[in-house]
Amino acid sequence: MTIRGLTTVLILWVLGTSGQQWWPLGGAAETTLLAQQPAPVEEFVPIDQLPPQDQLPAAPLLVSAYSFAALALFAYVVSVARRLGGVQRDIERLQDELRRSGRA
Amino acid sequence: MPKWFVPATVVCAAMFAVSPVLIANAPYESTMGLVQKIFYVHLPSAWVFLLAAIVCGVASGRFLAQNDPRHDRLAWAAAELVVVFGLITLVTGPLWARKAWGVWWQWDVRLTSSLMGWMVSVAYLLLRQFGGPGSDKLAAGLALFGMANVPFIYISVNYWRTIHPTTSVVPTLPTSFGLPLWFSAVTFLLLFILLLKMRVRLQEQRAQLDALYLSVDT
Repeated sequence: MTIRGLTTVLILWVLGTSGQQWWPLGGAAETTLLAQQPAPVEEFVPIDQLPPQDQLPAAPLLVSAYSFAALALFAYVVSVARRLGGVQRDIERLQDELRRSGRA
Repeated sequence: MPKWFVPATVVCAAMFAVSPVLIANAPYESTMGLVQKIFYVHLPSAWVFLLAAIVCGVASGRFLAQNDPRHDRLAWAAAELVVVFGLITLVTGPLWARKAWGVWWQWDVRLTSSLMGWMVSVAYLLLRQFGGPGSDKLAAGLALFGMANVPFIYISVNYWRTIHPTTSVVPTLPTSFGLPLWFSAVTFLLLFILLLKMRVRLQEQRAQLDALYLSVDT
């Protein structure tokens, strides 16, 4: 191999091991990787300067979660208590009916 | 109602009053901040949701094997609680996820299997309500599938790629996070037992009412 050939191989090896794929091999993969990267940050924006839909404060989410849980449990307790009361009234009514008819 | 019901209700109410204080005093998690506190209602309700599905499945299995209506009453009561606690889990989870993940919902295996488990219990209740004669046995079979889904929901985060926190989070919690969580979990468990007792009582009274209607008709 000539000196020029050895130099070319050496340059290719150095570039290859340093991760710089300057030749077109693997170009599609590189393009995909670049596309997956987020856009570079060009300026910092304070959160209170964002539009309201992007600020997303945690407190309303937290309050909504606890309120929903409390309301769901309360509604269920009321529902069961009302159903129990209704069935109890029907039982008492039927027992009275049976007592009056002398079958109890 | 049994003698223990009223004292247990008082204890449960007191625990519900103390829970917010413990949760408010718990430290903020480093990456999620305030929204992480949803965890103290989301996780206990999820545990009770899975427990109720197991109770419903076991009671249904015993009903199918022994044909004892007491097991059927317990299964029906537990199925309602699966729906209630499952709904709380499925609503509070997305409220946390919106802030933590940036999306309300992700079709990953934990969320999807939880939704499936909840829908099985909704199907159980619809079947009991509108299924007519024989629906008790059909619903019991359905409840067995609901119970079979429970271990799948639990271990799913450890076997499939997901953005949901894994099961290793709870055993490694520092005391400052663990105390409010376990207190909340015991409170939810006590509430589950009380609601289950109330709901079984309703089924017993309905059975008594049916017997009385038969007496009046004959």
